[in-house]
Amino acid sequence: MSKKNAFKTTGLMKELMANYYAKGVEAKKNGIPVAWVTAVFPVELLYAAGLFPYYPENFGAMAGARKVANQLSEVAETKGYFNDLCAYARCGIGDAYADEHPVGKIIKPDLLLCCNTQCGSLPKWFEAAGRFYNAPYFLLDSPQIVEQPDQLCKQYFVDQLKEMVSFIEEITGKPYDYDRLSEVLALSNEACRLWNEILDSAALKPAPFGFFDACFHMAPIVTWRGTPEAVTYYRALKDEVDERLNKGVYAIPDERYKIYFDHIPVWPKLRWFSDLFANHGALVVASQYTHSWAYSFDLNRPLESLAENYTEQFVNRSFNYRIQLKINFMEKYGVDGFVLFSNRSCKPNAFGLYDKHKVISQKTGLPGVVFDADMSDLRFFSENQVKTRLETFFEQLS
Amino acid sequence: MITSQLISYFNETINDHDRFVEQWKRTSGGKVIGFLLTDVPEELIHAAGFFPYGICGSNVGQERVDAHLQNWACSLVRSSFALALQGRLDFLDGLIIPQTCDTTRMVSGIWKHARPLPLMENYLLPRQVDRPSARTYLVGELTRLKGRLENYRGTVITNDEISKSISLYNSNRKLLRRIFSLHEQNPECISNRNLYALIRAALIMPREILNDHLRQLVDALQQDCQSSSAAAQTRLIISGSVIEPLEILDYIDQAGGVVVGDDLQNGWRYIEADVRESGDPLEALADYQINRIPFAAYDTVSNPRRHFLVHLASQKQAQGVIFLHLKYCETENYDYYDNMQAFNKISIPTLRIETEFGGSSMGQLSTRVQAFMEMVGGEV
Repeated sequence: MSKKNAFKTTGLMKELMANYYAKGVEAKKNGIPVAWVTAVFPVELLYAAGLFPYYPENFGAMAGARKVANQLSEVAETKGYFNDLCAYARCGIGDAYADEHPVGKIIKPDLLLCCNTQCGSLPKWFEAAGRFYNAPYFLLDSPQIVEQPDQLCKQYFVDQLKEMVSFIEEITGKPYDYDRLSEVLALSNEACRLWNEILDSAALKPAPFGFFDACFHMAPIVTWRGTPEAVTYYRALKDEVDERLNKGVYAIPDERYKIYFDHIPVWPKLRWFSDLFANHGALVVASQYTHSWAYSFDLNRPLESLAENYTEQFVNRSFNYRIQLKINFMEKYGVDGFVLFSNRSCKPNAFGLYDKHKVISQKTGLPGVVFDADMSDLRFFSENQVKTRLETFFEQLS
Repeated sequence: MITSQLISYFNETINDHDRFVEQWKRTSGGKVIGFLLTDVPEELIHAAGFFPYGICGSNVGQERVDAHLQNWACSLVRSSFALALQGRLDFLDGLIIPQTCDTTRMVSGIWKHARPLPLMENYLLPRQVDRPSARTYLVGELTRLKGRLENYRGTVITNDEISKSISLYNSNRKLLRRIFSLHEQNPECISNRNLYALIRAALIMPREILNDHLRQLVDALQQDCQSSSAAAQTRLIISGSVIEPLEILDYIDQAGGVVVGDDLQNGWRYIEADVRESGDPLEALADYQINRIPFAAYDTVSNPRRHFLVHLASQKQAQGVIFLHLKYCETENYDYYDNMQAFNKISIPTLRIETEFGGSSMGQLSTRVQAFMEMVGGEV
């Protein structure tokens, strides 16, 4: 991901994301309801209804990447929100109360729609935001799949999707358009297919594309999924990846090792990490995080298919499933080692990593390391400590 | 037995609870199914013939947890898991974890990996209760859990068995509510500390033994507590997840405070309502859960937590509110600002105290409670 090696498509992405925020502001002006949604949420239902979906988590990631998460968080902290909460939530809540908006103002919701597969923090943040903005809140509740997916939880989710459709109909004053939903689902399928083909190219040795590139290029699959814009974007990116392969341009200059990384990056240190790995000839090739957007919807049974795709995600799975998923990625991408990020902001992904580290090492024989930090807030980042841990890990590779 | 002897009995039992359970197991030959606090259907576990045992955390041994769980996980879960790692829960035959937050949701797999038990289950209660889908799902989840308990026991659990257990648990809640009301009228007769000790005892004692002693206690209290001492006391509400440490109640006692209500998982919230005794028992358990006092796991549209708390404070004529929060408890912290603001609006002073199992500074706690009580009491 070094600067001189930047993708041409980056320019297109910047344009696309600027458009996304402009569209949100415009929606507000034109009376189109802005719905806050969570990253792993059946957003297709909203695009089909003509609502504007806004991702406050994205806002949090942006605040992290621009190294101002602590500044926004401190505003929330003066109100009594402690710094042990999810940093995205602290940034969102902080911005609501702040006088200064270093990453632009978070867009005010007309309604808040939350799916809790990812965690319990999002619903609590959305509840608080619903109270602050005085906007209605709707939770799509998804009990954890402890063993195998079962009919009880699936039916519960489908029932709630129907309740949500009624809720949307009340907001828009129009009957729900299922034909339009089919079109949106098809667009979502296509964007996800392209995105995963791009991610798969990291398995090639040497590879033209890696995890840190994916972190950079993932915003459209999160926010524009279900629109023609996302399809156009990932087609362009796929073409560029193919072109790079033809020309022999690779993600890092001297790829000697492939690494699995779990889960989210440390946003304000993205380049620091990327350079550190590259300097050791190590390319991070996969993470369950960037691979989360791999949906495949059956257009003939849209609600059931939405329920399956969104609830059977790893974020809604338990200990053993998550271990096996990581091992599957490690095998598929032929990695030489794994790095697990114990993220203070994300209990569901962090809790269990110490044991998972041991189990994965035993099962695969691969070297691995766990480091502690926060995805956005640099007050919880000790550069020396993380560097020492990773240097020891790199030594084990060679 | 007289009041003081009965109170001592309960306090000794909670202080020495592992020995109590081990002894119960030896003499009864029964099985013990542990649960993390608190919203598990104990009636269903009891109907299966097992003793539901609430794991209430501990003050020692948390360092053993560090290899499994980060030290920024809440100390209730860490210290409960620490008990298992120290072998102090070896009397358990099973464990049911209610998934009410990210920590309970994720510790389940870790616990099963590190300390497996013959029966390990999650109680996947819905995180919204306002829409019809929640009730349908919850009845299904209770049916699933019942099926797991039946598999473990080897025979079906009949509706009659569940109804009997519901009735037994209801009678226990009634007794505890009676004592709560005696405490409100006459806190000198049964102090804050002793009242909450009784509720903790309910989490760790079989209902049959518990009810027998509680009945005696109610009789004794009714004789001893003819007069009322409530007028001289400062009326308080406590809001949070659990009472920790119990010593905070001593400090409130010493400063002349009477706790008249709470939304604590091991307080008034645990005993405030009964399960319907007619109709389908699983539906009755589902309705009970859906209508429980709101807590931090989720806010409700029909009964938002801050409205509930404000209503409780007005109804009980509370003069102050203590937010008793566990360090690292995210769900409580997300609610705090708005709950606190709701009390500010009606000019009821509040105090937020953050504690940790095994990590609270008693001197500081005592000073803060005392200062708050002076401030609140001064307004009477």
